Amino acid sequence: MIMAEHTVQKPKRVLPKSRIMVAEQTSQVYKDARDAKARGEKIGWSTAIFPQEICETLDIPVLYPENNAASVSAKHLGDELIQHAEGPMRFPMNICSYARLNLGLADKIQDPTYNTADPLMSSPDFLLLANNSCTQLMKWYENLSRNLNVPIFFVDCLFNYYEEKPAEYKVKYIRKQIEGYIAAIENFSGKKFNWDKFLEVQKRSQINSKLFDEIIRLNARTPAPLSGFDFFNYMSCLVLCRGKESTTEIFKQLKEEVEEHIANSTSSFPAEEEFRVHWEGIACWPNLGHNLKILKNYGVNAVINGYVTAWNVVYEPGNLDSMAYAYATSSTNSLSTPSIMNMRADTIQNYNCDGMLCHVNRSCKLMTFHIFVGRNIVEEKTGVPCVNFDGDQSDTRVYSEAQFETRVQGLVEIMKQNKEARNG
Amino acid sequence: MANLISLLNKLDAIVAKPKAMLDKYLGEGKRVVGCFPIYTPAELVHAAGMVPMGLWGGQITPSLAGQYAPIFTCSIMRSCLDLGMLGKYEGLSAAIMPMLCDTFRGMSAAWRVGVKNIPLISFIHPQNRADAASKEFLIAEYGEVKKKLEAIAGCEITAGALAAIFKIYNAHNVVMREFAEVANDHLDVITPSVRHIVMKSSHFMEKTEHTAIVEKIIDALNKLPVHHWKGKRVILTGITAEPGDLLEIFTENKIAVVGDDLAQESRQFRTDIPEGGNPMERLAQQWLDRKACSVVHEISSSRGELIVDLVKKNNADGVAVCLMKFCDVEEYEYPMIAKKSEDAGIPTLCLDIDQSTRIDEQSRTKIQSFADMI
Repeated sequence: MIMAEHTVQKPKRVLPKSRIMVAEQTSQVYKDARDAKARGEKIGWSTAIFPQEICETLDIPVLYPENNAASVSAKHLGDELIQHAEGPMRFPMNICSYARLNLGLADKIQDPTYNTADPLMSSPDFLLLANNSCTQLMKWYENLSRNLNVPIFFVDCLFNYYEEKPAEYKVKYIRKQIEGYIAAIENFSGKKFNWDKFLEVQKRSQINSKLFDEIIRLNARTPAPLSGFDFFNYMSCLVLCRGKESTTEIFKQLKEEVEEHIANSTSSFPAEEEFRVHWEGIACWPNLGHNLKILKNYGVNAVINGYVTAWNVVYEPGNLDSMAYAYATSSTNSLSTPSIMNMRADTIQNYNCDGMLCHVNRSCKLMTFHIFVGRNIVEEKTGVPCVNFDGDQSDTRVYSEAQFETRVQGLVEIMKQNKEARNG
Repeated sequence: MANLISLLNKLDAIVAKPKAMLDKYLGEGKRVVGCFPIYTPAELVHAAGMVPMGLWGGQITPSLAGQYAPIFTCSIMRSCLDLGMLGKYEGLSAAIMPMLCDTFRGMSAAWRVGVKNIPLISFIHPQNRADAASKEFLIAEYGEVKKKLEAIAGCEITAGALAAIFKIYNAHNVVMREFAEVANDHLDVITPSVRHIVMKSSHFMEKTEHTAIVEKIIDALNKLPVHHWKGKRVILTGITAEPGDLLEIFTENKIAVVGDDLAQESRQFRTDIPEGGNPMERLAQQWLDRKACSVVHEISSSRGELIVDLVKKNNADGVAVCLMKFCDVEEYEYPMIAKKSEDAGIPTLCLDIDQSTRIDEQSRTKIQSFADMI
């Protein structure tokens, strides 16, 4: 009997073609960086919402520590790196776990025999920093710069502490920095910047952003054609390859797959969709499996979340002011709490959500402030219940499986009552 | 000596109860504007004929702030929010908040929801200071703060008023730096707690008044014979070295503070407003001139170098890093500070700082062990 249990295996879920394409694209990005290093060329590391169109234009390979930290954590390979940062490197455990993981990795990869992390990053020759996601990025990159002795190219994107659009003088400051960065990276790389190619990359970036937005909107249908968690798998296309044609191909394929689900009345959500929720915050990458299992057990599809839409940097190609404005406003964390939470309330209504499940992410103070300060806005505007749970994007010590399930149970209970009341 | 003690007692009372100063200024018919740490252009408030008053929280157990501020918010901001929500800051005409870290970004909304009766003036410093556009930006950003203050004060902040105020602030900086030097010749009188009180009190008083008192303290100290301190000497670095009990443990262990790189103390006084030119440009240039601080973007290890220099210059035996719990900007700098100090052969002690709690035995043990080691 015991033997039988061991030998019976669940059939492995067949990955849709778009997912295979994403995996190939990501591998290629890392390979391009490795190959460039082998040729003695310079490669960079960049924050997730930096004007990547510029290095794309110059054909300079760039890797993304935040995305890498998410991947490494999802594969349960982050603990060793976090411990290295907290131990020999002496970083306190309260700083962002992406930062700890990456600072640990940056140190480890200086040993050429190190090969444990997957995907394995090549060591950078320069850093690209935009602080539109948080100020911790700035401190994280300062440490990388000091430890690795590499320069930073910085676009300070400010923070929109009020609800009105950024004033002209703010956009001007950011635009001037982008112009300065183009000249500086040209000088650093010894490559000539081709403005015509830049325009093409910008246009491609906009095509990709628009396509992704269209796909996400398709999940507003009831039942949703996709499990909302599926979107996490496609974020890398916009973070790593926003201006590449390969992203267009992936998104076209994904769109076809979603439309096929719609035509066949099927869904990638592996259970009957009884409730639809908005997931607020970054994923708990090491605990994605548990999150999905519990949500599936309770018939809860997290159909949409703000994190996956943060990479849609929408601007008018050829207009640097418009680009500067987009980089100042696209990140969830670049906007004030009322701005963000009013957007969330609109999304909840547009996606017909029954509730909001909020990840109180120990690594992300600002997102947590948004939840604490802004949940009233959501509850008052939409009437849906909001429930918090504690977790972390990479640090496995924070999340509690029991607490997550209890909180989901509580949310389901309220959503059920609300539904029954609505249906008389 | 009696006069010196009386002056120090006066400052001690102010630090113990800043609210009394708020009430005093309000009683005199003055408007008071709260200034959040670390760098807020208090000069603009002063030039508008109002009193700038630092908001540095207090040793309280927050009861209301948890509604909006996560548990992993630094204790200064949690207590500031709590005091605001409890109505303890009532009477302030506004509060100015710089977006220097993620907690401030979150607090800018929390304050507006939780403390509705005190309008918030938020602003942001440019961090890409190497880019020439940063200065133009900051002049415009300070301009927005200025407009809001003018609306509250009901008067224009003139270039002449600003230039006069800058003189007062720079003179205050000079006096505070002088105090830090003179204090080291009188470590029997200027204990770590007393030194802290002289520094911290500057946030709750009009600068002219504070300058006058500190000048008198310096005069009184200069009249005393130089004291040859036989105990240990340390440099403090961090945001604050609070609560006050913490510094008493240094005294108990015969450790004097002979210099600091605390945001609440010497970082406030080490960068003057440069001379010459348009006042708003000068104010912006002061930010561009700041260095060796965790809320200022720098690639170099200038803070570590500054601490090592402070140790050498003041003949200190070690560095006590007062690491504010949940202050990520400081936490990111700890490895660099520790390494720079240790590379220079300087012993380093790291203390967890939580303004809201009473001093824990762990800190006592750490300080005792450090005293034995250095």
